[in-house]
Amino acid sequence: MPVDLKRINGPENTVSYKLYTPSKTFKEELKCLFKSNNKRQDGRNSLEHRKMFIKTGIVSQAKGSAYLELGNTKVIVSVFDPREIPNKTDYSQKGVLYCEFKYATFSCPQRRNFQQDSEEKQNSIILKQSLEPAVCLHEFPNFQVDIYALILENDGSSLSAAVTCACVALAHASVPMYDLVTAVTMGVVDNQILMDPTLKEQQLCEVFDETDTKSDHGIIVTSFMSTHQQISQFYQTGNINLENISKSISISTDASGDIKLLIEKCIVNHVLKGANKSNEE
Amino acid sequence: MALCEAEKTFILHSVEENFRIDGRQRGDYRPMELETNIVAPSFGSARLRLANTDVLVSVKLEIDSPTLEQPKLGKIEFFVDCSANATPDFEGRGGDNLATEISNCLSSAYKSSTAFDAGKLCILKGSKCWKLYVDILLLECGGNLYDAVSLAVKAALWDTRIPLVKSVVVDGNKVDMEVSDELFDCERLDVTGAPIMVTVCKIGDQCIVDPTTAEEHCSGGSVVVAVSKSNFSTILQTGGGSLHPMTLLESLKLGQTVAQRLDSTLINTLKQINDNSTDVGFLK
Repeated sequence: MPVDLKRINGPENTVSYKLYTPSKTFKEELKCLFKSNNKRQDGRNSLEHRKMFIKTGIVSQAKGSAYLELGNTKVIVSVFDPREIPNKTDYSQKGVLYCEFKYATFSCPQRRNFQQDSEEKQNSIILKQSLEPAVCLHEFPNFQVDIYALILENDGSSLSAAVTCACVALAHASVPMYDLVTAVTMGVVDNQILMDPTLKEQQLCEVFDETDTKSDHGIIVTSFMSTHQQISQFYQTGNINLENISKSISISTDASGDIKLLIEKCIVNHVLKGANKSNEE
Repeated sequence: MALCEAEKTFILHSVEENFRIDGRQRGDYRPMELETNIVAPSFGSARLRLANTDVLVSVKLEIDSPTLEQPKLGKIEFFVDCSANATPDFEGRGGDNLATEISNCLSSAYKSSTAFDAGKLCILKGSKCWKLYVDILLLECGGNLYDAVSLAVKAALWDTRIPLVKSVVVDGNKVDMEVSDELFDCERLDVTGAPIMVTVCKIGDQCIVDPTTAEEHCSGGSVVVAVSKSNFSTILQTGGGSLHPMTLLESLKLGQTVAQRLDSTLINTLKQINDNSTDVGFLK
């Protein structure tokens, strides 16, 4: 990867101090997952979503934008006007979505680079694939809509937060859509399913306990269009058996339906505000 | 590839009748050809031809130091090269997106240590480990790239021979090691858990495996499942469509059974490969 000389990069070869602090073993961490009353560290049940805050119209320069908070996870997504697809010679019948998923350099415990790393590139692709089935691409042939998702703070489930937020931003930008897309992250660790994991829980789901090869672990991100009952993207990593996956599918589709109600309310509020304003004039 | 409506309807009906345009049933694969140990300078290699899809995989080994976060793990990296020989669409940077998608899918499928034990690649905790460079070259595209690539990668990793480390000497901060340069003084990797990817394609109301390029064009959405032993190590929807939750679940079940069948076939085939065969080169 070429180094970007126009930007001030952080010092090379630095590591987080966390590596030198006393660390717990996997088993100990697992015990800390739940408190004594079977609730998680932040007081939620295992299948309870965090509280969510959504606002439209955050970036005045963009055609549409939205801000979403999911516990401590904070995301801004801006959507820009359709423009001609750059560097393209032939005419395409369908429009194109261009998605960019980026962690702010300070958003994670470890400092991120300015340039997209492979995780961010992968998330960009998933973001694009989650939104594509919902957008009426034939309405803007040969044009491209740019979607930029910036994670300001990453406290787990940032990809699903970005998908939901991007959907609100697209609606705010008046891009024609068939349905609203809402996404939910599920974490699986030690054969337990956790909805909407925090960063700590997510990291536990990603690592693997060497002593026990049987237990499942992994992350599942489901993007769902609830009116049409269609899953627009299903992304899973780790090592999970079919039973847990089918369980997660039904749980996350139900949860997506609940989030959709919230989003609808937010969009209706935005429309009403606009209508009131034009009435006053 | 451009298909007219009549051709699409024809393919759709053929899938409905469980008699696809090349005579296969919905769960059938096209014939495959597999060769291993064909690239002399690499540590392991395999070439897989699945009807018109042709993939060449070679594995290179180098010594690296493990990351500070995971001092006990070796490294494995996947690079996919979409050669413009395969289709003219790949010319310039045309194949970049596809290449990233395939290599990301592979690395997430191999990430879990039940699928691939990177701990075996560690030589000395925190200072020396093997790094596997898995280079995948697409020579021809005839549909169903994910499946062909994963099979070829598994075969190439099976073929990989890691030289034995004779001794490791730690002198203060300096680590010195001696690696055997005897040709046959090496060990194989354990690849029993290495994931097999299966693309399940939804055409009409039915799900099929191993779609041809024409069938891929008619699909309303497809899902790639990577199955290691009996668990899923990665699931990814591709192809720009969406699926009903029930359909998704059905295609996952289909993918799982097909992947297990493929896996046992591949392992049986690999067992038959004789070390003393004299054939060299793949353009026979």
